[in-house]
Amino acid sequence: MELQIRNVSKTYTKGRGGEVQALKNVTLTIPNGMYGLLGPNGAGKSTLMRILATLQEPDEGSVHLGNIDVVNQPEQVRQTLGYLPQEFGVYPKARAEELLDHFAILKGFSQRKSRREVVGALLQKVNLWDVRHQKLGGYSGGMRQRFGVAVALLGNPKLLIVDEPTAGLDPAERVRFLNLLSELGENSVVILSTHIVEDVSELCTRMAIINKGEILHEAEPLEAMNALHGRIWQKVIAKNELAQLEREHTIISTKLLGGRTVVHVYSEETPAMFDPVQPDLEDVYFSVMADHMMAGRVADSQGGQQNDQQANEA
Amino acid sequence: MTFGEIFRFEISYQFRHVSTWLLFAFFFLFGFIILRLVTLTDGTYLNAPGTITFFTVFGSAIWVVIGGVIVGDTATRDVQTRMHPLTYTAPVSKFGYLGARFLAALALNSLLLLTLYAGFLGSLYGPGAKTQFVSPFRPDTYLANFAFLALPTSMATTAIQFMVAALSGRAIASYIASISIILFSQFGGTTVRFALEWKTLGGLMDLLGTSIIAEMEGWTPIEKNTRLVLLEGPWLWNRLTWLGIAVSALVYTYFRFQMSHQASSSRRSLFRSRQAAVSSAAQPTHTRIEYTSLINVPDVPRYFSRQTQLHQVLAIAGQSFWSIAKSWTGLTLVAVLALGTGLLATEYMEWLGVPLLARTQEVLNVLTPPLSSYKTHWIIIPLLIIFYAGELIWREREAGLHELSDTTPTPEWVLFIGKFGGLTLIITIWVAFLMLAGIINQLVMGYYQFELDVYVKALFGIQLTNYLLFALLIFVLHVLVNQKYIGHVVAFGAYGFLLFASMLGVEYKLLIYGSDPGWSYSDMSGFDPYSKPWLWFKLYWVSWAVLLAILAILFWVRSKEGGPTARFQRAKHRYSRHKMALFVALAFVVGTGGLLFYNTNVLNVYLTKSDRMALRADYERRYGRYEHAARPVLTHTKLQVEIYPEEQAADIRGTFSLINRSNKAIDSIHLSTIPFNPLEAISFNRPASSVVADDKLGYHIYSLKKPLAPGDSVQMRFVVHIKPTGFSNEGIDASIVANGSHITSDWMPVIGYQANRQIRSVQDRLAYGLPPRAERPSLYDVAARNENQHAELMGFDALVGTSKSQIAVAPGALQRTWTKGDRRYFQYATNAPILNEYAFFSAKYAVQERQWVHRLTGYQYAFQGPERVVKPVIIQIFYHPSHAGNVARMMKSAQASLAYYTQEFGAYPYTHFRVLERPGHGRGMHAEPMTIDYQEGYSLMNPQPGGLDLPYHIMAHEVAHQWWGLYLAPAAVEGAGLLVESLATYSAMQVVEETLGREHLLRYLSQMRQEYKVPRSRAAPPLLRSNNSFLNYRKGPFALYALRNYIGKKRVNDALRQLLRTYTPAHPLPTTLDFYRELQAVTPDSLHYLLHDLFATNTFWDLKTEQATAKQTKTGAWQVTLTVDARKMRVDSMGRETNVPMNDWIEIGVFAPAKNGQKTGLPIYLQKKRIRFGKQRITVMVPDKLIQVGPIQAGIDPNHLLIDYEMNDNMKALTFER
Repeated sequence: MELQIRNVSKTYTKGRGGEVQALKNVTLTIPNGMYGLLGPNGAGKSTLMRILATLQEPDEGSVHLGNIDVVNQPEQVRQTLGYLPQEFGVYPKARAEELLDHFAILKGFSQRKSRREVVGALLQKVNLWDVRHQKLGGYSGGMRQRFGVAVALLGNPKLLIVDEPTAGLDPAERVRFLNLLSELGENSVVILSTHIVEDVSELCTRMAIINKGEILHEAEPLEAMNALHGRIWQKVIAKNELAQLEREHTIISTKLLGGRTVVHVYSEETPAMFDPVQPDLEDVYFSVMADHMMAGRVADSQGGQQNDQQANEA
Repeated sequence: MTFGEIFRFEISYQFRHVSTWLLFAFFFLFGFIILRLVTLTDGTYLNAPGTITFFTVFGSAIWVVIGGVIVGDTATRDVQTRMHPLTYTAPVSKFGYLGARFLAALALNSLLLLTLYAGFLGSLYGPGAKTQFVSPFRPDTYLANFAFLALPTSMATTAIQFMVAALSGRAIASYIASISIILFSQFGGTTVRFALEWKTLGGLMDLLGTSIIAEMEGWTPIEKNTRLVLLEGPWLWNRLTWLGIAVSALVYTYFRFQMSHQASSSRRSLFRSRQAAVSSAAQPTHTRIEYTSLINVPDVPRYFSRQTQLHQVLAIAGQSFWSIAKSWTGLTLVAVLALGTGLLATEYMEWLGVPLLARTQEVLNVLTPPLSSYKTHWIIIPLLIIFYAGELIWREREAGLHELSDTTPTPEWVLFIGKFGGLTLIITIWVAFLMLAGIINQLVMGYYQFELDVYVKALFGIQLTNYLLFALLIFVLHVLVNQKYIGHVVAFGAYGFLLFASMLGVEYKLLIYGSDPGWSYSDMSGFDPYSKPWLWFKLYWVSWAVLLAILAILFWVRSKEGGPTARFQRAKHRYSRHKMALFVALAFVVGTGGLLFYNTNVLNVYLTKSDRMALRADYERRYGRYEHAARPVLTHTKLQVEIYPEEQAADIRGTFSLINRSNKAIDSIHLSTIPFNPLEAISFNRPASSVVADDKLGYHIYSLKKPLAPGDSVQMRFVVHIKPTGFSNEGIDASIVANGSHITSDWMPVIGYQANRQIRSVQDRLAYGLPPRAERPSLYDVAARNENQHAELMGFDALVGTSKSQIAVAPGALQRTWTKGDRRYFQYATNAPILNEYAFFSAKYAVQERQWVHRLTGYQYAFQGPERVVKPVIIQIFYHPSHAGNVARMMKSAQASLAYYTQEFGAYPYTHFRVLERPGHGRGMHAEPMTIDYQEGYSLMNPQPGGLDLPYHIMAHEVAHQWWGLYLAPAAVEGAGLLVESLATYSAMQVVEETLGREHLLRYLSQMRQEYKVPRSRAAPPLLRSNNSFLNYRKGPFALYALRNYIGKKRVNDALRQLLRTYTPAHPLPTTLDFYRELQAVTPDSLHYLLHDLFATNTFWDLKTEQATAKQTKTGAWQVTLTVDARKMRVDSMGRETNVPMNDWIEIGVFAPAKNGQKTGLPIYLQKKRIRFGKQRITVMVPDKLIQVGPIQAGIDPNHLLIDYEMNDNMKALTFER
């Protein structure tokens, strides 16, 4: 099954007549497997996620999961949808097992016996079996997140949408959580939206970078890293040298390391006094972002023209 | 941030909410509209302080209920929006933070209440104002009401709301606080004040000022127009109490509130769940990460069938149910109320001091208020429904897991019906509590025949349906509004509409959601005849409910998209799936609505209140000119009545014999009939033609070809059909039911124009464009005394048929009875003429019969002439077999009454005396010639040995009407009530004293004087011009009783007898002036002043004993010295008081200590003394031996003979001087 997102746009009206375009003409094709949607805060990731999860409707464009029209047939999508929202609450007085059982009923597990099996297995899978009788109000953030995964996984969804799942998790919980996700995605479309590059590099076979409602780059992480091979350079400088360097080079990122500044620049030739580095996904991300901001949106404007043509034809 | 900055920000932030503006708009409009809608009848002005006070209280009651949103937001917004970590860590003190927020809320709330006054002013002085009802502008009216009523209410309420909301961190808590305040202060306060009679405490509990409103009932119009509510007396204490409560709430809030991070899970939430806080779950430490991948989740098939959806509905219903059931207020509130209602049964299951028999019919009165009633503590159920509907609809969203549940494959209707199902379960349990309350009530009252089937029908059939219809409406509103607090405001608006629809001028039941034409359950007639219209109306409303539910499902929000466009978009998507259901529901609404319309507007005439008034006005305008037209007199009525109880129908064929008693020829005969109820087959035994046939106003004129010469007579025949065609907006006329039919003579045509159909009230006459006319003809209107149609006597015979199993009764002796087929016939004829006032009864009666023979003792006056002999009388009581409790005492009372009245006043004219029961809850009786009827409520009085025997009294009173009212019919002028009701009550008092003893009479009088305690204006006309029931039933009898104690029983009876002796039904008819003359004749000159005070003027005494001391003299006797303050004043009808000098004979008494079970002890000394106006000392000598140990009471007017509303200060405990 394949998720096809075609020319999806979404605009929010803010107070006093202002408008914010959250998604501009987004077109993506997402195959089975783990797909990463990477972008800074406010890039439009969550809006896209919610559109896929039938919670919002795009102003324009269409979304299809296989043969299902996600926008107009939300009921069918929901039968095979798993959604882990960015933020969610629980009934603090409810016990994990009982609330998961309730969700199982809502998700169509009507046979009591088999439902119990599923609920039990899921609780074990997300490692909440031992605390299944405890009240959800007492759960830590990570446990609560895993409970959310259990809800999302009910019914082996063909479309699994995970919105910023690792935000706010401690490193151990994050590893635990990513492990859980890594198992999925062989037979389903799993979309993971995040602003943490490691999440994507560790899990995803394909990814897209989104900013200000536009898809800036769509690639496989490995390929993208390879494509940058030999073009990312690094230099450790003092803080006051940064302004000077900015004028001479395309800086894609700066990082602090032990009080000094580590600068990554993009250059097709070897810049003086720089060391070559093996590009990682972060470099991909930052070079795309930097490219978008400074170089004048080359890749995107092409995409834009294409879309305009399509619009004209239509 | 400074204090001022927080305050300023908060105010301006609140004004960014639409709901704030809506509230302001609401209160302005409320103030504006209410003063336009209201009509004041007693001469008070629209801007009178009293009127403004009343609407200030009314307005603040509404504000308390719906105004909680402001505090809810100011007190909890930071926590709700999770911004509190920022605000709490800002450099602002707790005092500043809380104080500024509270003051902002208080300022806004007070401003809201001020808007009310802006509305008032707009209404009073804006365009279209009714200036004739507006007096000159007085700023202190508004200032005093705002400062002493509204503002303190606002302070206390805001403080309490703020405390509850800030400490719980939940905005909805302020709403709960509002409801609790209303319940505590209004229902609690009223219960404490009236049911338990703890006046002071009840007065203090009253936050809004309803105790002042109750007090104002006793204000004169002058007082209402001028008196301001000031901070004095009990009201000062009340305001101080509430101010104290407000300050305590704020201090408590200050100390309990913590400006620190509060883990939401560990906070004990008062309104959510009664379970204790949960402890934080421990992290499992032994977890090994790799485990996860080893577990396989079985691939279990899922089903998305109807069955699954049903399963889901049940699961959601169960979860919703438990979420309410486990909360603090979910079940406990109604349970406690039910328990209290049951256990406190003895407090309210009484009528005028007489315990009631707790038959289910009686108990249901307490348990089944209509949804549109706010004068019941069961108002808690609709209020809780509104609250929990909001909670359920917003449950997922408030917990934050709506994105999880909204993306599950459950259709919207499953979510909607599931939640509604949960609430349904809760309401069902509440209704079960109601049933329990009823059963406990019956157990407490010692009644053990539980009619469970009746309970089930009334509670689970009727009440539950009403509550569910209401709950569904509120659900739909919450879904459609999609904003919790505005949703609540809208829900309250809807509820307010249901409560006050008729006040708002909406009477048409098809427009008032959930309404029905009313119902009532009776042991005699069951739910007959109310069930049929009830069912049709409910079918109509259920169709509406389904339609609304489908709309809610279409517009159900399960996404981020709350905007109208997006929701319409979604609704369009969902429409196709629900099209079928929508159209079926719509078809049902239209179908049942059409059917109801056909019934209420086509088969029957739909008339609003003002339509009815307009008809009466038209009747007067069009035919009033015939008021004095010569008319023949009805001398004989012959009727053939066929009653068909099962079909609720009757056919009446009548023949009137009419005679011209005037000295002019009569050329036409005028008939008044019931509007819209055409008579059939009117014919005369001489040529006549119809000139006017106005069925709409009910007026007919037949012109006689040959005028009716003086002394000549004519016979008129007619047919009346009674058969309800369908039902009207008011339901079905209950005259004829399967068991317990009661057809009055009002169904028959009457000869001539009927002045008593005219509009009486001065205001209404003005409104309907009629010339001014006094409500009643003046006592001094000599012409009115000649109107004697109501006093004319006629012969009467009737043949009545009914179904075989029933007994039919009409006036007269039963000539014969027979059965023909499945019908039974009764032939009645009177042996003495009767007034034109009678009724037919038919029911499955049990009968008790006794013959009463007059023993010739005492005076023998036959009041219709000396030749009349006292005939034996057959007394028959026709009663419902299960209502036999009072039959024996009724029989005794009837016998004793006939004996006493015959002896004192003259012979009873008929050979029969009948008493008949009919369906209904009334407790009184109604007298017609030789017949008395009573509703079932009378049978359910259950006097206890040693207690007041009120049924005996009422019976004696009604028997007395055979003399007062039915034999002697006074002129229809002011004071007529004194001659009918006061004399009947006074006569009954004599019977009671003769047969049950003086002690019992005193108990009766003391119960009757309870009416003094009801706030009562002293403004009234004198008794001779008596015009209301207090004067007729209380003050009149008290005055006669006082007179009796001054001049003696015999002399009063002499005067009464004389009045009867001189009576003839010919004009002019007697008035109170004739009675007054008779009283003067029997009263010694020295007491004529008293007669004048009691009857000819509206006089009050203020008699008070300030000091009572006793000193032993040398002779051994005791000298008792009293310091008394005596005043006498006249009060006119507007309340102006004038002191009058006095030199009155008033009883001075010294009483021995009361023995156990007695209210007062025996008199040691009791003498009338001359008392003058003002403070004075009175010294009386009491023989030595009579002074005993214990508190001795002494004082002035100990028997409360003179009219003095303050009865507690007449007596004082004696202190001894050495």
